[in-house]
Amino acid sequence: MDVDSDDSDIEISSRNKGKGKATAKKPKAIRTEAISAQPYTWEENFARSWDTVTEDATGSLQTTVDDLQARSRRRRLLHPSGTALRRTIIRHLVLLLDLSAAMADRDMRPNRWGLTLEHARVFVAEWYDQNPLGQMAVVGMRAGLGERICSMTSSVQDVLKSISEKHKLEPSGEPSLQNAIEMARSAMSHLPSHASREILILFGSLTTVDPGNIHDTIDACAKAKIRISVVALAAEMKVCREMCERTSGQFGVVMNEGHYKDLLLELVPPPAQVGASSAGRIGGDAVSTAPKANLSADLLMMGFPTRLPHSAMAALCVCHSELKSEGFLCPRCLAKVCDVPTDCDVCGLMIVSSPHLARSYHHLFPVGAFTVVTTRAEAEADACFACARPFPPIATSGGAATGGGDGVSPYGRYRCPKCSREFCADCDLFVHEVIHCCPGCGK
Amino acid sequence: MHLVVILDLSKHWLDAQSSLPFSRFLVHLQAFLNAYKAASTDSQLAVFAAAPGRNLLLYSDHEKGSLNETDPNAYPSFTLVGSTIAEKLAALYSDLEVLDEPCSLVGTLINALCYINKAITTGQCTPETDEPRILVFSVSPDLSTSYIPIMNSIFSAQKLRVTIDVCQLLGPETVFLQQAAHLTGGSYLQLEATEALLQYLTMTFLSPPSIRATLAVPIQDRVDFRAACFCHKNIVDIGYVCSVCLSIFCQPIPVCSTCRTKFPAKLVLQLKASQLPGITPQTSQASSTRAASAPSRADAPGTADFDVSMHSDPNSLPRYTRNGKA
Ligand SMILES: [Zn+2]
Ligand SMILES: [Zn+2]
Ligand SMILES: [Zn+2]
Ligand SMILES: [Zn+2]
Ligand SMILES: [Zn+2]
Ligand SMILES: [Zn+2]
Repeated sequence: MDVDSDDSDIEISSRNKGKGKATAKKPKAIRTEAISAQPYTWEENFARSWDTVTEDATGSLQTTVDDLQARSRRRRLLHPSGTALRRTIIRHLVLLLDLSAAMADRDMRPNRWGLTLEHARVFVAEWYDQNPLGQMAVVGMRAGLGERICSMTSSVQDVLKSISEKHKLEPSGEPSLQNAIEMARSAMSHLPSHASREILILFGSLTTVDPGNIHDTIDACAKAKIRISVVALAAEMKVCREMCERTSGQFGVVMNEGHYKDLLLELVPPPAQVGASSAGRIGGDAVSTAPKANLSADLLMMGFPTRLPHSAMAALCVCHSELKSEGFLCPRCLAKVCDVPTDCDVCGLMIVSSPHLARSYHHLFPVGAFTVVTTRAEAEADACFACARPFPPIATSGGAATGGGDGVSPYGRYRCPKCSREFCADCDLFVHEVIHCCPGCGK
Repeated sequence: MHLVVILDLSKHWLDAQSSLPFSRFLVHLQAFLNAYKAASTDSQLAVFAAAPGRNLLLYSDHEKGSLNETDPNAYPSFTLVGSTIAEKLAALYSDLEVLDEPCSLVGTLINALCYINKAITTGQCTPETDEPRILVFSVSPDLSTSYIPIMNSIFSAQKLRVTIDVCQLLGPETVFLQQAAHLTGGSYLQLEATEALLQYLTMTFLSPPSIRATLAVPIQDRVDFRAACFCHKNIVDIGYVCSVCLSIFCQPIPVCSTCRTKFPAKLVLQLKASQLPGITPQTSQASSTRAASAPSRADAPGTADFDVSMHSDPNSLPRYTRNGKA
């Protein structure tokens, strides 16, 4: 069960060719090769079953666990510490989900709606992972109306929760692009001018029922610098393509399930506004080409605010001039703003909540892999150092313990090379995949 | 219900005279734990301690000790908790003289999360119904070197749906524990009247998080979102952030020390020029209001007694103001 055994990794990837590409790799890799490698619907016949597997034939969860480990290992291999993983600073996205009757179509398994929700969850998790200061909202198109499913939030849990409540998202009626886009536009109207605004539409229908002229709405979006991208499940609609072109977004039509996911994951990295300059940075020195401040590598001055509770004394906010108690204080001028991240309206300082920055720090300082305790002499501790549960007693009679090999300790013990404490298998997994800090050397 | 208690056994607390002696604290804690045990038959409890140089488990329901003598007038499971903790503490105390190392409160926090994770994976605890939570009794000021482990623990707690409650018994407010409580939906309590500790505990921390919405538990006051810089481990309110890896620095630097990205030289000069004397993170004399709201700043003791009446709210009870002599 060692996370770092090469054998288990290779085993996994050979066991599920094809689908493994879509689930296990990060979008960067997918973009370059997946479209050619991805089997088409008529070629793949067993791939779907893998998605839903929780138990293998013997009723054990081992395959799922192995898969998880292999995945995390790949993730770490793809982002070794120190390499520059490009992150945008402030990004806002409204996810527009088509919840019209057309989404009940079964041309994709299980149906368009189910698949969309499933892929949307993957997309949301990945998006927050790569855009730690980003905020996302979800709007549904159903019965001719726009429906707010989740308002602008920086919490990935909130978004995931809102789109996993399936019974609230049953498709019905006709979609209205205009109504939904207007709702999305109003959700982003308060943002500072430099913040990126995007709308991503997952559209299954071939019609739209609008109360007015949708071209006016598109004009308004173009004016507000809102970038609209559409992933169409059925076919290309002229109005959708035009919408994307006017607002310099991306347009794609889904060919099969795997392609759907690829299209979505392509939209995870920040839009290529600074494409030329970022290419220059990879080529080497940003300094020589530096005079313009807004190159890909930037040092930004940021303020970390103090949050006021509901019980604080009411005062006017500087952003809306409303009298209210809660809010955030700019650390430089002590002005009160309603929400972060934002720019202080008084002194112009960028105000962010420091926990948002910290969300990505585990990428920077990963915990080294634990070594496997293979011999009885090495097993010293009575209990796991992390969870304090006692280790199972080691049989005193000789004879090699069973269940070893493959980087799995026969005694279920793993040792941190730095602090040389012993950990159980569960904690080994938890420390490397969730906490990203060793409790023994956590200082 | 699933509760993990963390005790900060810093040497300065165990040794020195303070407004809350350790022995008196234990009496209050024992009463609180009894109340918790009595509240429900399936309530589970574990107690971890961050002692100098080591973290250890003081009590766990899974590690049942046995009672030496039984008192007919006492409920056995109350006596068991008390005597187990007392035994372990006595053993610890005898070692303490030789150890002069710092306590790792963060390490204990990670221990507690691993403990809960293990309980979840082995089916002893379901996050939805058991509402696992961690109650931290802290007596130490912020350890800015532990910024990243603390933040990682907070996000792990969010993932496990664990609530972190914090009771700061002595000393200044701790910025990072405050953030931990805020981000996991727990309560942060800065103890004012030490003799009323038990009352604070039962009012604030006895009820599980889902019930607190309907009870009038003390709400959290202002939350300080400051961070620790990567270069000097200072706690800063204005920092310089690398746009590639989001590392925080307290002053403009030409090359990011974490990801080795070079910043445009002109930009660094500009930023240096714009550093006004009053707002550089190194100088402690920021505006007086800021200093009053930030008593844990390294050199703040002199400013800690500022009048903070503008921040305190007469309606919230108890109040978490800094001049706790009131
Ligand atoms: Zn406002
Ligand atoms: Zn300001
Ligand atoms: Zn363990
Ligand atoms: Zn370690
Ligand atoms: Zn520094
Ligand atoms: Zn950097």
